[in-house]
Amino acid sequence: MNTSLPGQTSTNPQPVNSAPNTAAPVAPVLPPVGLEFLTRSTLPFQTVDYALKGYHLDANVGSDKVVAAAVELNREGFALDTITGVDWLAQNQMEVVYDYFHPLTGLRVVIRSKVARENPEFPTISTVYPGAAWHEREAHDFFGIRFSGHPNLIPFLLPEDATYHPLRKDFAP
Amino acid sequence: MEAQDEQLLKDCAPFVRFSKLDELLNLGRANSLWPLTFGLACCAIEMMAAGASRFDLARFGAEVFRPSPRQADVMIVAGTINKKMASAVKTLYDQMPEPKWVIAMGNCAISGGPFVFPGQYAVVEGVDKLFPVDVFIPGCPPRPEALIEGILKLEEKLTGKRRWPVVKPE
Amino acid sequence: MIIKEDSVLTQREAPSETFILNLGPQHPATHGVLRVKMTMDGEFVTRAEPVCGYIHRMQEKMAENRTYAQYLPNTSRIDYLSAMTYTHAFVGVVERAAKLQVPRRAEYIRVITSELNRISSHLVWWGAFLLDLGGFTPLLYAFDDREKILDLLEGVTGARLTYAYYRIGGLYNDVDDAFLNGTRAFVAHMRPRLKMYRELVTENIILRKRLVRIGMVTDQMCRRYGASGPVIRGSGVPYDVRKAEPYSAYPDFDFDIPCFTEGDSMARYLVRLEEIAQSLRIIEQALDRLPSGPVMAEKVPRVLKLPVGDYCYAVEAARGRFMVRLVSDNKEIPYRLKLRTPCLSNLSLFEEASQGMLLPDALAFMGSLDLVIPDIDR
Repeated sequence: MNTSLPGQTSTNPQPVNSAPNTAAPVAPVLPPVGLEFLTRSTLPFQTVDYALKGYHLDANVGSDKVVAAAVELNREGFALDTITGVDWLAQNQMEVVYDYFHPLTGLRVVIRSKVARENPEFPTISTVYPGAAWHEREAHDFFGIRFSGHPNLIPFLLPEDATYHPLRKDFAP
Repeated sequence: MEAQDEQLLKDCAPFVRFSKLDELLNLGRANSLWPLTFGLACCAIEMMAAGASRFDLARFGAEVFRPSPRQADVMIVAGTINKKMASAVKTLYDQMPEPKWVIAMGNCAISGGPFVFPGQYAVVEGVDKLFPVDVFIPGCPPRPEALIEGILKLEEKLTGKRRWPVVKPE
Repeated sequence: MIIKEDSVLTQREAPSETFILNLGPQHPATHGVLRVKMTMDGEFVTRAEPVCGYIHRMQEKMAENRTYAQYLPNTSRIDYLSAMTYTHAFVGVVERAAKLQVPRRAEYIRVITSELNRISSHLVWWGAFLLDLGGFTPLLYAFDDREKILDLLEGVTGARLTYAYYRIGGLYNDVDDAFLNGTRAFVAHMRPRLKMYRELVTENIILRKRLVRIGMVTDQMCRRYGASGPVIRGSGVPYDVRKAEPYSAYPDFDFDIPCFTEGDSMARYLVRLEEIAQSLRIIEQALDRLPSGPVMAEKVPRVLKLPVGDYCYAVEAARGRFMVRLVSDNKEIPYRLKLRTPCLSNLSLFEEASQGMLLPDALAFMGSLDLVIPDIDR
């Protein structure tokens, strides 16, 4: 599997042909293409083992940098995949994971960001990616994360008058 | 006089039947149940399949799905009822004119189905928590034949007689 | 369609009032419980705001209450029309995290059943879409073909709609000769039917008038909303997860990605019909080269605990890119399971794209997006 950054030599694994036995890998691991943008990028990307994790690049940024990350990825032609909230009760933190995919190269990029669990707040990226509006509403529904600057932060999947946040780890109905 | 009446009845039996008007109305209602298109989730697809070419609800008079509750007799609740949706379901039930019946199709409509777990916050556990149900059809989703059997059971409830014999497995 | 400056409407006094039309949760054309609040200016839509959540079934919360094996039947009910592909993503992410080797025969059978499921999903879409546009007959033809697929899959899995056929590490049981012969017969039956559909429906002048240049979606709009599947392939971008992030046995097969550049509803319609033809190609190749062997991996632990970390797996479902993001903390139940569903991203561009449309055109556009509402609400 290819874990090298651009500029270094890497081996190109070939897809394995079908054989009538069980000892064959599940899917071939192709080298990620489209990594040229890393030379211009200011974000702290780390290469990730795609065969294990399912994405190519991972960056951990502060909550104030997520909009800049979105602007940069938008410029490079990435599409918004999804926005996930994760409640780390034990560490007293709330994490938001932004997944992006590139429609032309298939590259998968993850931007993640953690804030304190009381009053979690993130700036909205819906000015850059309008599709983020619904994903952020859903994260607000489930976790109570506020997205400042969001045009319409009302319940999306829960009833209009819901005041509870069900996917928090300390939620009891 | 009585013997003459009985002889008259026997003579014209092939051509004339005598019965109560209620039974005739019930027969008419049973043979032309018009369902409300109320597919909510997965069971809706089996309801569509029951109305399509292979299973053909039209044979039983029930193929005319009405979008408007004002024109429907029977509400086939096919799918999960959500707490957000519950008031809309109740409104639709109230808008249906009498006589009306309800068929709860699928496990979700009977009791909340596979979506009931301790700590659940969004699902109404069965449509009979909102209004009375006449026929329950279990399954996840029930086969179209099961839906047809449910409609035949409803017809039996209306007329007191079953239209077709129960199919015995060989 | 935008009101032109010199149209008759603006020569009269332009209406100063708009009204709100509620395309309510119960509607024959919304394919589920979707509510759209449409602000209308006469017959034209000025703003369409979808309201979701009427079939929210807590799929992501349930994942935190179920073990990996117990959660498997839920995956079929997220998008019940292409249920196999959704189960594939879930078992794929668990196998990826647990580093399980799935036997080749199981991968091939997964591909065959997923492609059969894709064809049956597209047939339901085709029938229901044409029903919305006003034609009742194609629904009956499509469901007749679909029943043949359901017979095949029922013989193997036991279920017609919500299969829970895949298991973590392989399959529930092996396929038999009846399935293989029946699938070959179905492929031979379906190709002339596609030709008949093309002559009966696709080249129909009424359909063309209703779909061509209706519901224009640009590729930049798709990218910024995350739309995938036939929506982005109808706008000129040949993005397909089976080619971009190859998984399972798809690299072994030779198939094309249908892609049209017009970006209108007709392009999305043609993409889906072409995809049925490509699925038939894949099924034929898989049947020809089906390897022998077991269908379940050895040594799948009975109590499955995945290592700490987060994992993703993406598949090409019938409606677009479905991705599962799993966060594990080395327990039997997941810590967080996120389902990235295609219909949510596809519908999110409805508000921007439908401005200024006529109401019937907006409904034709919504039908061409191929929505299944439990996919959005999960």
